[in-house]
Amino acid sequence: MWGKAKGSKKRALRIYFATDLHGSEVCFRKFLAAAKVYEADVIILGGDFAGKAIVPVLTENGSLRARVGGEEITVPESEWGRLSGDLGKAGLYPVRMESGELARLSGDEAALGRLFRSEIAAQMQRWCDLAAERLDPSVRCIITPGNDDPVDADPVIAAHPRVECPELELCDLGPVTMASLGVVPTTPWNTERECSEDELSKQIEEMLEQVPSGQPCILNLHCPPYASGLDDAPELDDTLKPVIRGGRPSIIPVGSHAVRDAIKRYQPVVGLHGHIHESRGVQKIGRTLCVNPGSDYSSGVLRGAVIDLAQDGSCLDFLLTTG
Amino acid sequence: MTSSEASVPAGAAKTGGTQSTRLFIRQTSGLVRELGIPAATGISLASVAVVNTFINFNAGLTDFTKSDMYLPLVAAAVIWLVAMFAYRYLLRAVPRAGGEYVYLSRIVSPAAGSVAGLGIAVVFTYVLSTNAHFAAQFTPFMLSGLGAAFHSTAVANAGNHLTSNIAIAWLSVVVMLIVAALSLFSVKIVARIIFWLIVLQVLAFLVLIGMLAFNSHADFTSALATYSNHPGAFQDIINTAKSNGVVFGTSIASAVAIIPFMVLNYNGVLYSYYVGGELRRPGRTYLYASAISIGVLVVLWIGVWALLRARAGLTFMQAQANLGVINPTAYGKITSLSSVAGGLGYGMVLSSDPITKILFATAVPLAEIAVNLAFLTVTTRVLFAQAFDRLLPVGVAKISDRNHAPNVAISIVLVIGIGFCFLTSLVNLGSIVALQSLFFALILLAGGIAATALPMRRADLIPTPGLPDDARRSWLRKVALVGGATTVLALFTIYELIAHSSVYGKFSWESILTLVIVLGAGPVIYLIARQVRRQRNSLDLDMAMRELPPE
Repeated sequence: MWGKAKGSKKRALRIYFATDLHGSEVCFRKFLAAAKVYEADVIILGGDFAGKAIVPVLTENGSLRARVGGEEITVPESEWGRLSGDLGKAGLYPVRMESGELARLSGDEAALGRLFRSEIAAQMQRWCDLAAERLDPSVRCIITPGNDDPVDADPVIAAHPRVECPELELCDLGPVTMASLGVVPTTPWNTERECSEDELSKQIEEMLEQVPSGQPCILNLHCPPYASGLDDAPELDDTLKPVIRGGRPSIIPVGSHAVRDAIKRYQPVVGLHGHIHESRGVQKIGRTLCVNPGSDYSSGVLRGAVIDLAQDGSCLDFLLTTG
Repeated sequence: MTSSEASVPAGAAKTGGTQSTRLFIRQTSGLVRELGIPAATGISLASVAVVNTFINFNAGLTDFTKSDMYLPLVAAAVIWLVAMFAYRYLLRAVPRAGGEYVYLSRIVSPAAGSVAGLGIAVVFTYVLSTNAHFAAQFTPFMLSGLGAAFHSTAVANAGNHLTSNIAIAWLSVVVMLIVAALSLFSVKIVARIIFWLIVLQVLAFLVLIGMLAFNSHADFTSALATYSNHPGAFQDIINTAKSNGVVFGTSIASAVAIIPFMVLNYNGVLYSYYVGGELRRPGRTYLYASAISIGVLVVLWIGVWALLRARAGLTFMQAQANLGVINPTAYGKITSLSSVAGGLGYGMVLSSDPITKILFATAVPLAEIAVNLAFLTVTTRVLFAQAFDRLLPVGVAKISDRNHAPNVAISIVLVIGIGFCFLTSLVNLGSIVALQSLFFALILLAGGIAATALPMRRADLIPTPGLPDDARRSWLRKVALVGGATTVLALFTIYELIAHSSVYGKFSWESILTLVIVLGAGPVIYLIARQVRRQRNSLDLDMAMRELPPE
């Protein structure tokens, strides 16, 4: 009743999958801890690791001034550690600066973009170093980008000896081969990695055509399949505000047709998805188990999925986790 | 893409200092999905079944002697007002969709959240059936009104054959089937259906207010006589009720005892917290939306009650409601007006055109269908969550390839709901309204407990940027105090429900069994599922709720 018994098959690989941390320091630390707590062989961070906002912290006469949660606050300079820690937990980038620099950034989008990219790259470097420091050598750590992650961050991860970044590549996990792609179909926000459904379909197909015949595979595609129940998000109007119908925000599927078609055609063992934080769930499309663990990074809660695979690549069991 | 970022302020206003600071936000998905106060207020008001107030007025009048609604309406509003502040703190701490399930999971423990989640699923399924039961009970009134509107004696009289328990049970099933059939449409269409059903019931309510306002007491007595084809019907109902032992007047004790009915009346008025992740500046937006909604409902309902008292009179209302229960035969000899319809019935009496007759006749059944459509969505969502937590089979959450609807979950809710329909109609499960009241009081209690525990267990989630330690401690005490006050008020409501169990639900084996099933379903299913999985060497369910150490 609670899932099919898999007979005498033994677990050959345990994957822990999480996604959409959006710069949350506390969630990334939990992600690393998950390897030990859940006894995972591979931990995968499936995209949207970059934070979304910079909090300028003005230095004035020995005090620090910043806008946090809609309110302007002033704390002694000695409180910098606590302030930056609190902001980092929520996925914000605190940056100390003088008032002149703040004024300059306010009017210079290019400079602001560079600052974002540099903060994100610096954070990724710190995270990779932390992974090297904390993870058991036997645990593989894979971080792939999502649509909100700047492309400049990829080389930082790829260059790190402890972390793998197999974006748009096949990755051998032992019993299965994993194909990863962080690009999503066009969104209203014109984010870093978007393309048309046709282009997405082509990219997925090119990867999957390389999987050796008979080799079971899993897909690590940031965007969930269309109308799968893993892609329910509020419908937006032209001003990007939620549409209200019947006294509730109208919820519609916003996933990818290309991803759904690929899953139907190739029937991978598992589909690992993210992108839609509040559409946490599991669905079967044909024989494929599709998972979106959701995200609750702003509360400092790490949502994830533990997936057990057998030596023949079949999926033995799964569990969505909240930690 | 997410909605949770709505709590991050976009841009900044100058609040002091030599130069205003601001937040720099880069172009990413999900940052601008923000609902303002008007939208949040709309959500709150749409979540309240406005015409159900007549059901609760009637329950208060028949279940307690010397009933009046002023104090209960105000006291219940105060309870929700205090709770409003508690939920404000919860929302600021956890600006996410999901309500008590999320708050309990984050603040008390994931296990408590999951158990509450399953309890909610079971009770919501039960509530679906009680709403269907309400709609079924109003069918005779509806047919009578439609018969009058279309000048059809056959239609009007058909209602007289639909008053037995078995007829009510089957009518409830029909309502459930209609709701299930409508749920198979796309979410967009379902939302439109709910919207128009809400519009119709609000319209009926407003028309009724107008009729009561523009007619005098004399108009009412005269119209009742004409409607009943019984000169002196008004006074005869009062006299017959008196001779049947109905006690008139008002008493404080009775008013206090009715408060739980009115707590139920306001249920939904704070529901903008369920979409907390979508609100702009969630704490503030939710607070304004809830305060406005409570204010509107207090004015509206107290106004309607005052108009009913002025036009029909408290003595008549007490007489009519009670006589219909104590001696329906004697009541039926005087008038054919349904004794349970209350204000809507008075509107029917006063109405002279078919359109308003149709509006009044169909208001309650349509309202219950709208509420059930919304409840079915919520119930299936909660079932999904349990399936994802492996407490129920994954197949429960299966989305159909053909209509993209959760057909399996809908079928499960439908089957269980139909079972409850027969139980509520044929078996004495206690007062139906009471179990709903108890359930919503328990939800309120869960919110109060979560708010009380918030500063103790997850103080890190309470944002008090820049506050010195002393001021922060004081702030945390305030959060605990408001949470504690909400808990006490919820406990008071529960106490009243239990103290008047003869009205709100007798402690028979059936009602106790129902409560045990409702409250114990979560832990029992969790333990069974865990044991079954252990025997199969599957992943331990305990793992799903393990706290991860960040350091």
